[in-house]
Amino acid sequence: MTTKELVKKIFFIEILKGLALTLSRLFSHAVTIQYPKERRPIAPGFRGQHALVRDSETGKCKCVGCGLCVAYCPSKCIHVFTVEGEEGAKIVERYEIEVLRCIYCGFCVEACPYGAISLTENYEYSDYSREALYMTKEKLLSNWDKYMAGKKGEYYFKKFWRPMSEDLGTPPGQAVFRGKHS
Amino acid sequence: MLENAIRPEALDALIKIGINVGIAIIKIAVVLGIGLLHVAYATYFERKVIGHMQVRLGPMRVGPHGLLQPIADGLKLFFKEDIIPANADKPVFYLGPVIFMAASMVNLSVIPFASNFVIANINVGLLFIFAIAGMGVYGIFISGWASNSKYAFIGGLRSSAQVLSYEIAMGLSLVGVMIMAGSLNLTDIVKAQEQSIYGMYAIPQIVAFVVFVIAAVAETNRTPFDLPEAESELVAGYFTEYTGFRFALFFLGEYIAMIIMSSLAAVCFLGGWTIPWYITKVLPFLKYVPGIIWFLLKIYAFIFFYYWIRATVPRYRYDQLMAIGWKILIPVALANILVTGLVKILL
Repeated sequence: MTTKELVKKIFFIEILKGLALTLSRLFSHAVTIQYPKERRPIAPGFRGQHALVRDSETGKCKCVGCGLCVAYCPSKCIHVFTVEGEEGAKIVERYEIEVLRCIYCGFCVEACPYGAISLTENYEYSDYSREALYMTKEKLLSNWDKYMAGKKGEYYFKKFWRPMSEDLGTPPGQAVFRGKHS
Repeated sequence: MLENAIRPEALDALIKIGINVGIAIIKIAVVLGIGLLHVAYATYFERKVIGHMQVRLGPMRVGPHGLLQPIADGLKLFFKEDIIPANADKPVFYLGPVIFMAASMVNLSVIPFASNFVIANINVGLLFIFAIAGMGVYGIFISGWASNSKYAFIGGLRSSAQVLSYEIAMGLSLVGVMIMAGSLNLTDIVKAQEQSIYGMYAIPQIVAFVVFVIAAVAETNRTPFDLPEAESELVAGYFTEYTGFRFALFFLGEYIAMIIMSSLAAVCFLGGWTIPWYITKVLPFLKYVPGIIWFLLKIYAFIFFYYWIRATVPRYRYDQLMAIGWKILIPVALANILVTGLVKILL
């Protein structure tokens, strides 16, 4: 043992260094976020609970029932059921998402040519039953009204989900499914 | 009539004894009440200090800044189910925590909290504390044995070995103080410090003080010497099988033992309820601060040091623990006694 090591041992140099470190941490600011009281700011582009976009003009769902989201969905959690209406028009009867299976990848939003589905910034929707987390069309539409109505939804569609098109309609060059009458 | 049955002098003596007993009971009640309150908030203080040292917040939810957390914890403990292992040795199992806590509590009686406030001002105060603190290990050991569980048993074994080893180092470290003060009475030790030129024995007895601090941490089974209750190896050590109220007794005993060790450090090394004369010379207004406040501040500082070490140093290995105790602390303490004795003789 060299003299230096001996001195280090006798005067507890290493332990004193450690004590100095913990003491400096004592006076630093804690990183804890007091969750229900304080919340972490939500980053723009957050992928939370699902919503079906309500068309601000017609007040109805934008979905046409093409089934691209269903095809894209990696966890196969979207179910779309369509029926034939007047003049052979396709009517989306049921649009359902099994939220418990969703992995929040956002592919459905990217796939949708009409910008009809979106992910909101809401992440606090835990529940005690599976039924409450099985999203029907009405629930999804009300989610849009609750969390994304107005400027926010537009901002999200412009900035994150469909950066190629300024208007929320279909880009002209894109091959999409269209109803017979349009 | 009473006068006919007992002579008046005897009656006077009886009344005097009665008054003395009454005063003693009031003192005990005060010390016990304040002591238990301190234990409750020592847990809160510990969680807060360690939390902030780990850049967390510690308890925050119960009451403002979690101030009512100890009360919530206490209530929870009392309403817990009292589980006793089927193969436990039941009478001994019941006795263990009681012995442990009683042994810690009794020590409160000889600690001088202020210049004229001590429950029992006995001449062998220091020795008494050692004796009773040594009794506490019986509680630990028999509860570890009676639980009939390997973890509890190993915890109990480790604890008895550790406390016995470090008691020697601690006793030897305090011999220096005894030599300097010339007394085992804790009140006299404080008074001797007040009159000495150093004001507190931590300065001339710095070596003994360091040995004492290390031994005190080991004696109360605290990190980094918390091998008897090493969570990662022994679940909870000797009280693994205890629940609810009995667990609470161990908990109380452990924290009271910490407070006792802090008081002992304050009394023997830091000057008890007094402050050194050179401080009052510079800042004369400090003379008017009551002694109990200095005493409590010293205890709090020492308890804070306990937590500070816990947040910093990892647990030692068992052979390291024994090596520190027997190969370093005891020889150093013996050398300190030698030097102190020589200085005392020569000067």
